[in-house]
Amino acid sequence: MKRFLKENSLSLFFLLIFALALVGQALAGQAKFNDQQLVDGGQPISLVEYVATSDFAVDVAENWQSEYLQFLLFILATVWLVQRGSPESKELGKEGGESDEDQLVGEHARRDSPAWATAGGLRKALISNSLGWVMGLVFALSWLAQSVAGLAAGNAERLAELRDPESWGGYVTGPEFWSRTLQNWQSEFLAVASMVALSIYLRQRGSAESKPVGSPHDATGVEG
Amino acid sequence: MRAVLLLFALTFVAGCAVDTGPPARTAERFATAVTSGQGDAACALLAARTAARLPDRGQTCGQALNELRLTGGPVLSVSLWGDEAQVRLNGDTLFLHRYDGGWRVRAAGCTPKGENLPYDCEVDD
Repeated sequence: MKRFLKENSLSLFFLLIFALALVGQALAGQAKFNDQQLVDGGQPISLVEYVATSDFAVDVAENWQSEYLQFLLFILATVWLVQRGSPESKELGKEGGESDEDQLVGEHARRDSPAWATAGGLRKALISNSLGWVMGLVFALSWLAQSVAGLAAGNAERLAELRDPESWGGYVTGPEFWSRTLQNWQSEFLAVASMVALSIYLRQRGSAESKPVGSPHDATGVEG
Repeated sequence: MRAVLLLFALTFVAGCAVDTGPPARTAERFATAVTSGQGDAACALLAARTAARLPDRGQTCGQALNELRLTGGPVLSVSLWGDEAQVRLNGDTLFLHRYDGGWRVRAAGCTPKGENLPYDCEVDD
């Protein structure tokens, strides 16, 4: 058990703080929602009722989609684009999907390689792009969930303001959907750009995301 | 992945699985009452804040509602999102809210003022 915790501490730590943050978001969101209920002459709702509302769903989904998009783009862009001196980039000259030998697939797979790395055809194609596909799928589903939950929350607000509700097509081409979407995207893109560029010149001793402290600024694709 | 499916399930429950019957029935009862001059019965179906705002000094809510001569008619369509609903009748558009005690009419005698603009209502909160 102790060994399991130690060997998986990075994933477990982030899952734990994710769960705590989600619970915190639900509690704070419920308090804010109930404040507005009082103003509107409605009744307060329980935490369980709140997490089933479209207000909570849209707030969760809009952040999820932007985070998964951020990592999807980071995964795909770093196949083709490089940054001299950044540990987030691979070495210059290695742009592209690389050779089977470099990627340890097909006849170059090792004995401990995943089984599908040895296989050909569809299985090889799937495992070769599985990270991008899964991140892309979660991004797409989260963005769709944001649009459906956002439509529900937005239409409840429109009816409360004595306005006509709008269609899904109207919502996803309207300012509310894109304001929510782009305000998340811009911050994610800035964070990635900062990580790529700052890690050229700055170090964090012992971090897998940093070059070793003494590594030269122009050393590319070196992680500590 | 399980979390994404849960989020979808919540979204579905929150946004799609709706029963438009209760607000439609409240709207029908309200319309029947106002068109037959039963102002007090219609006022009982108004949201508390709407009913409180309606009468002038010296009037009851029912008297004020009867004076407005609102039209009604059969239900043409219902839009229900969360605790809010819009019921289009043949001769009126009503806005309702779901309270603990059930659906109540927040606004009646409403006419559209243009796309995306609030309706102009004879009775509202």
